[in-house]
Amino acid sequence: MSRRLSLGITLIIVVALGAVDLVLFAWWAPFLAGLAIGVLAGRARVTIPVGALLGLLAWGAPLLYDQERYGLGPAASSLAAIMGFGHQGAIPVVLTLLVGTLLGLTGAWLGSVAKSWLPALQRATSR
Amino acid sequence: MTLDPAVEASIHKGKSPSSQGAVVTRRRIGRPRPSGRTVNAVAALVAAAAVLYAAFFGAGPLPALGPAFNPLTGAWTMAAAAQVGNQTLHLAGLQQPVNVSFETDGTAHIVAQTDHDLFLATGYVHARFRLFQMDLMRRQGEGRLSQVIGKAALDSDRFELQLGLLRTAKLEWSQLTSSDPSRDALIAYAEGVNDRISEAESTHQLDAMFTLLGYQPAPWTPIDTLIVKGDMTQTLNFTDTPLVIAQLDKSLGADLTSEWFPVLPPNAQSPYDPGPYGAATTAPIESMSQVSDSVAATAAALYQRLAALPPGLIATGGASNNWAVAGSKSASGGALLAGDPHLHLTLPSIWFQLSMDSPGYHASGVSIPGTPIVLIGHNQHIAWSLTDAQDQQTFYYLEHEDAAHPNQYLWKGSWQPYKTVAYDIPVLGGATEHLTVKLSVHGPVITQRGQTTSVWWAGNLPSQDLDALLRVGQASNWQQFRDALRDWHSPTHNFVYADDLGNIGLISAGYFPLVAAGQPWLPMPGTGEDDVTGTVPYDAIPQVYDPPAGIIWSANQRQVTSDYPYYIGTASNFFDPGYRANEIHRVLSLGTANGGKMSAADMMGLQTDTRDFLASEIVPVLVQALAGEQLSPSESAARDLLAKWDYRMDTSSAAATIWSTFWQSYLSETFDPWWKSRAVSIDRTEVDDALGQDLEAWTLGDTANRAFSSPGNGVRTAADVMLKAFHATVGTLTKSLGSTPSSWPWGRVHTRELENLAQVSGLSYGPRADRGDANTPLASGGNPSTHGPSWRMVVDWGTGTFSGIYPGGQSENPASAWYTNRVDTWWSGLYAPMLTADQASAAKGTFKWSLQP
Repeated sequence: MSRRLSLGITLIIVVALGAVDLVLFAWWAPFLAGLAIGVLAGRARVTIPVGALLGLLAWGAPLLYDQERYGLGPAASSLAAIMGFGHQGAIPVVLTLLVGTLLGLTGAWLGSVAKSWLPALQRATSR
Repeated sequence: MTLDPAVEASIHKGKSPSSQGAVVTRRRIGRPRPSGRTVNAVAALVAAAAVLYAAFFGAGPLPALGPAFNPLTGAWTMAAAAQVGNQTLHLAGLQQPVNVSFETDGTAHIVAQTDHDLFLATGYVHARFRLFQMDLMRRQGEGRLSQVIGKAALDSDRFELQLGLLRTAKLEWSQLTSSDPSRDALIAYAEGVNDRISEAESTHQLDAMFTLLGYQPAPWTPIDTLIVKGDMTQTLNFTDTPLVIAQLDKSLGADLTSEWFPVLPPNAQSPYDPGPYGAATTAPIESMSQVSDSVAATAAALYQRLAALPPGLIATGGASNNWAVAGSKSASGGALLAGDPHLHLTLPSIWFQLSMDSPGYHASGVSIPGTPIVLIGHNQHIAWSLTDAQDQQTFYYLEHEDAAHPNQYLWKGSWQPYKTVAYDIPVLGGATEHLTVKLSVHGPVITQRGQTTSVWWAGNLPSQDLDALLRVGQASNWQQFRDALRDWHSPTHNFVYADDLGNIGLISAGYFPLVAAGQPWLPMPGTGEDDVTGTVPYDAIPQVYDPPAGIIWSANQRQVTSDYPYYIGTASNFFDPGYRANEIHRVLSLGTANGGKMSAADMMGLQTDTRDFLASEIVPVLVQALAGEQLSPSESAARDLLAKWDYRMDTSSAAATIWSTFWQSYLSETFDPWWKSRAVSIDRTEVDDALGQDLEAWTLGDTANRAFSSPGNGVRTAADVMLKAFHATVGTLTKSLGSTPSSWPWGRVHTRELENLAQVSGLSYGPRADRGDANTPLASGGNPSTHGPSWRMVVDWGTGTFSGIYPGGQSENPASAWYTNRVDTWWSGLYAPMLTADQASAAKGTFKWSLQP
């Protein structure tokens, strides 16, 4: 598969998963998107940062949108209180972004690993 | 995030980890090791598994992070849910369009073209702003908290299922006929709640607490509404006092228990219904007898079980005020009414303010989320409010059992089998608990050890209170109001009334159970002789209408004098000590004496009155006792502050601090030696209300009472004990606040807190310095005080003005501007006008919803 084709397929899958995320409100979409990137692109040093960035954006963009639309201060402060962090509203924001980032990162990492093991698996099965 | 070193090496050098790292390792150690690629794969798998596990299932105290914090569907949606604006909504089940308007403070006004639509829209509006609160309340009563909280709630669930709110609610529902208006209201209300649940689920705007706890609310049913009603009944009148008295009787002795915990109050009180009364039809009550060891042990075991339950399940004394002034005594010429029910102050509040208009129902006031009607408020012609009547509605029966008759009890000479009901209690993170509840003729067996004890509780009798309240809301005169309340059974409430023709009334509607014989303030034999046989006839319950003085009042005090021919409860704990009632009576009497007229402003002033009636009686006696005594400079300064004090428990008053500390010290100096010498198992502070009445009466009229001469202290009088208590008071305050009494303002030591309903302390309000104490009309007992005026309403029929305020806000969403927006107004003793729907609709800043079928 050519690099260009891989990139195209990756982009299509990422966009599709992003759409799934929006339509189905699927929180796990960044993980799947990262996984897809990893499997298709394969190179860990590229896919892991990209997956992490994708996760960060997938969870960060809606937060940013809500911040612009409603202001998230009271919600962040309330969530911090519920979690036992007083009114340190930054904590739930960081936690949320961290979760999104880790979902994308681990998905991409796992995908790149899978990619690296595919030839070996193919050889093993062809024997 | 730290990557595996082998992976990092490969990333940085661009070489396969298997091509170098593994070889180097093998050479160094000399035996086979996993390749870098394998390590990388394992690390990736472990990291992904850990992240996915935390995202799906949570970690430690954290909820499932994925669904909980997903910005699109998780708890963050509370920001969007907090927004309220003009909207058109389509609700299933509506027959005609409904208009809902919201004032800027969140007060809702619902105008419907049919009664069905009114109740449906009310259900929708309640659920829109209070769904989690409603779900918690039904779960509590139905014994289903463990399902979402886990084992920590199991004791509460077991107890609730034993007590039987669910059984009673189901029975009440089954007794409603198809022609019953409250049945239609309950069904329509449930439809409205379910409309909101469906909407919230589809738009991912369920309250954040659902998301964080990881569950979705089940559809609402009419039985859930009856459960919420049962919760309130339990909070207000399920008591453990007979168990307390039994232990006191055993440890303190029958003689002192009889003397210190009498049926009739030892102090002077202000009953609102002075008689004359008709003749009773029951035998007089006997005096206190000696409790046996087994009864005391059983009472102790059961008492400890009840004491371990979460706060609010057992009624521990009431505190509410209401009163009315006739039109003839009012400056406006119209009747005045004031009401402020005192309850646990929570965020969100127990109340939701609204007006409801349809062809068959018009009412404005406050409702309890989960129920479809206005509980306290007014319509076009009458206004009403309520306080808890405090009569005894809980009786304990010791069942007689025998090994020869397993699973049976002796009743009226024959062995009766217990009925049983089985329940399954789902427990989050644990196995489902199976519970079998035994029922005797008296009620559910609630003992876990000791002699089998069942409880007769008026709250377990079916009571169509919603029907009664619907008719109260439709009443336009006293006769209709009184007739409507004939069907109100439990909890017994003092309903105050004022109408647009200047009339006033007060009636303690509900059951006043009558016991055939025996001692109802103790656990009684269950063999039949001491059973509850009926209730005081409706015409004989406490009530007054247009009394000559033109004033009526209730503040949980005993409603009647010692001439009243029926036993309705003891002075110890069932009824309030009477200081708030005395103060209210004093102010109303003064205001209307010699042709005086009172105004709505006077009513508001009295609702925030901080004058401590008990202090006004005792402090002059104390100051007199201190005259001529050798006092230290601090003590002299403290005495001088008391001598000049106006008895108001204001935050700036140092005398208030001295008085409060002194009274506790006086109680302690008088009674603690007795407690110690007789090894009384009940915490003395738990019965301070009763002991305080004794101490007040002795200080004012029996200064040589034997109680002052406690074991180890020789012969003492009231003055001796007061002096000792005063020395201790100044010593204590000097130690904690410094040696200058003028720097001991009440606000330094007394605070109030509005507690978050889900016990999230960060979402509570306060603690903040506040005025008042347990004896002041502005009730603020405890420290921090978490109980108090949960809603203040003042009505002036002469000017046609209605005012109200409650601490909190209309929304349970902490991100909403309506979460605490009313607190400051309430704290300052101010009110908001209770507008009509038309007035609200025309007001600036009003949001409007159009609800369409």
